[in-house]
Amino acid sequence: MEDIKKIKTVCRSCHGGCGVIVHVKDGKAIKLEGDPDSPISRGSLCSKGLAIIQLAYHPDRVIYPMQKVNGTWKRISWDEALDIVANKFKEVINQYGPESIVIGQGTGRDYESHLYRFANLLGTPNVLTAGHMCYVSRVGATLITCGNLPVADYRGGPKCIVMWACNPQWTNPDEYKGIDFWDAYKKGAKLIVIDPRRGFLAKKADLWLQLRPGTDGALAIGFLKVIIEEGLYDREFVEQFVHGWEPFKERILSHSLDWVADTTWVSKEEIIKAAKIYATTKPACIHWGVPTEQTINCTDCTRLLSALMAITGNLDAPGGNVFYVPPPVRKVSDFACHKELSPEQAKKRLGGEQYKLASRVALITPKVAWEAILTGKPYPLKAGLLCGTNPVITRANAREAYEALSKLEFLAVVDFFLTPTAELADIFLPAGTWLEQNHVADNWKRHGFVLARQKAVEIGECWQDHKIFMELGKRMGQKWWDTVEEALDYILEPAGLTWEEFKKKGYLQGQMEYYKYKEKGFSTPTKKVELYSTILEKWGRDPLPKYTEPPESPISRPDLLERYPYILNAGLRTPTFFHSANRQIPWLREIRPDPIVEIHPDTAKKEGIKEGMWVWVESPRGKVRLKARLNDGIHPQVVVAEHGWWYPEIKDPGHGWDISNINILTDNSHQSMDPVMGATNLRVLLCNISLCTEEV
Amino acid sequence: MPKYSLLFRKKDCMGCHACEVACKQEHSLPVGPRLVRVLEKAPDFIPIYCHHCAKAPCIEACPEKAISKNEMGVVLITKELCIGCMACVDACPFGAMQFFEEEGTAVKCDLCIDRISMGRAPACACVCPTGCIVYGQTKAILDAMVDG
Repeated sequence: MEDIKKIKTVCRSCHGGCGVIVHVKDGKAIKLEGDPDSPISRGSLCSKGLAIIQLAYHPDRVIYPMQKVNGTWKRISWDEALDIVANKFKEVINQYGPESIVIGQGTGRDYESHLYRFANLLGTPNVLTAGHMCYVSRVGATLITCGNLPVADYRGGPKCIVMWACNPQWTNPDEYKGIDFWDAYKKGAKLIVIDPRRGFLAKKADLWLQLRPGTDGALAIGFLKVIIEEGLYDREFVEQFVHGWEPFKERILSHSLDWVADTTWVSKEEIIKAAKIYATTKPACIHWGVPTEQTINCTDCTRLLSALMAITGNLDAPGGNVFYVPPPVRKVSDFACHKELSPEQAKKRLGGEQYKLASRVALITPKVAWEAILTGKPYPLKAGLLCGTNPVITRANAREAYEALSKLEFLAVVDFFLTPTAELADIFLPAGTWLEQNHVADNWKRHGFVLARQKAVEIGECWQDHKIFMELGKRMGQKWWDTVEEALDYILEPAGLTWEEFKKKGYLQGQMEYYKYKEKGFSTPTKKVELYSTILEKWGRDPLPKYTEPPESPISRPDLLERYPYILNAGLRTPTFFHSANRQIPWLREIRPDPIVEIHPDTAKKEGIKEGMWVWVESPRGKVRLKARLNDGIHPQVVVAEHGWWYPEIKDPGHGWDISNINILTDNSHQSMDPVMGATNLRVLLCNISLCTEEV
Repeated sequence: MPKYSLLFRKKDCMGCHACEVACKQEHSLPVGPRLVRVLEKAPDFIPIYCHHCAKAPCIEACPEKAISKNEMGVVLITKELCIGCMACVDACPFGAMQFFEEEGTAVKCDLCIDRISMGRAPACACVCPTGCIVYGQTKAILDAMVDG
């Protein structure tokens, strides 16, 4: 067994973070094990991480650069590929300016530091990410409210956990995996689950509130009303550390609990009970997830949840929602050189005037990119570089995304496979998986750790994403380092470590301090928690949070109900897949061979649908087919569809992108989006379901 | 010698399927045989796995005496003796016995015998994020179950 090398590293099959020991034989990864010493995962691993070897050595994986010539992919060298991209970018910069280049990524994959550095030094403000409706929107809304993202402090010993639209053991592991949550729960914390679906956690909960999809903000208003009226808030905190308490209180109290109950479908008794448990059990934390963000209420809902944490005295309190102290390494934002983007260029950010919060966190909502490509307004986008993203599957209004990317004059993509998005490109740059990279991982997360992700193997000519940005950046005359590792030394410098030294340590943890605001205040203009936002006020927006009825719901569009009687939640995540990834991995696809749509048994019976039958799901924008799964844990009027589906086994370049892609059904019109963040509504729309009798 | 057992506490199974992939990797199995499998009947999750029965119906059903139990209580197939008749697949009350098409033989959970003989827990138990997969001496596990 001596010829097997064991390398400790860190997974990134989702956002990453779990500790892994990779077994390598003759330069090939042959097996993975969980690392029991990992502070994040303590030995556990998930199906996605465990299947990485099947992904890394997959026969469909593209392991050298390619150029599309007359519609056919042709192998080229890295030098040729990078020269083609750099020359095209230079041409666009000369003719139209750097803002006509869009740089994009998908979900957080630990290279935003390098991607943003490349974009900022290029001079383009147009960075397209998933952040308009996932995580960064949470960061943005909390930045303007309490100065930072307050994260549930499971290690601090919460006595009450509110799991709000979130299932961290299955998905959405932004700050950490479900391990810490599970420990806190097992130690006896009360659990309140807010979810339209009765999942594993709803079954475990002391109280499960089955709300109408998209009404989280209204429910938060209900909680706040009960807490204010019953005097269950922390008066001292509110007096000293809240800006705008009186108008905020007035806004909250202007709603009746009957309205909250009617709007959310949660009974008054349940709202009162849940609010009282949360307010009186100390400490209590709220862990909230993307469904609250993927609606028109994105920013307001996060602000309302932050208000709950603040007025109950749970902000930055042990076991509450805290601002973890990062280890002393260079921040992603510093590495990314945001300050190098000139104010004139920043001003040109697409949609920047309208979506000011998105602009504040340096991103654009996809809608404005598609518009610029398709209409040339306010100016044309001519070229793009997309890294690890598959927007024709994962963004709202997939048909528009497909049309726009097809029309973009020049597109380069960085990926593992020829996805439906990659097939629209001119240049394919092969990325290394997490087995093939060195990185100071998790630096973007707000959980107080950085982790050593170290290279276990090299495969084909693949380069880690960081190196791709670095080498392309150098070709554009940007300031970078000679090697990936020298850049890591720069990140680690404040900690007094080199990459080689850090690798041996495995991780660094920041020294946690609680109640930092007592000395320093909050990082907002008033140094207080701005329940009345001076920033939103300055932007001419409503400074107080509110609830807006989703634009396509039974309440806002009763006229559509006859044709589209059901509420579609178009964002079910499942543990084997990560957004549009992993559909070609044999072990994972065996577990989940088909896209599923959950239907209540009563509804299924009414529509003549049985478990396992193919079903058409149709919205005013189109229809797709998914396989029925009956679930009596959802409301009979609610239908829940998995997102992210395409069919790698279909070999034509579309790879079945429009067959089961739920984003064919979603909307990205400006009026459907969050007014300051540009968050697209992926969670609430109206649909019809019917039996699909066509041969599949 | 003490007997060893593997047990899934169903109430703590959240349907993440990590155990399935860990098992596939440990045994280098392709798509097809699933030595552990979690059925989803939302919102419930039902793990299907070999119980290494005290009185194992698969052993009794095998016409070739290809299935036996070792001194640790692990029910094992001697692959060379298996004729692929699938009598054991029919006999297993848990649906845990699998048929491996490519090899034409039955295949089953071996409790990760290579790992446990080195004092390590089976692959599935090691990765489980909720700790719902319990491995250890049979008596200790049964006692723990009684205690909740």
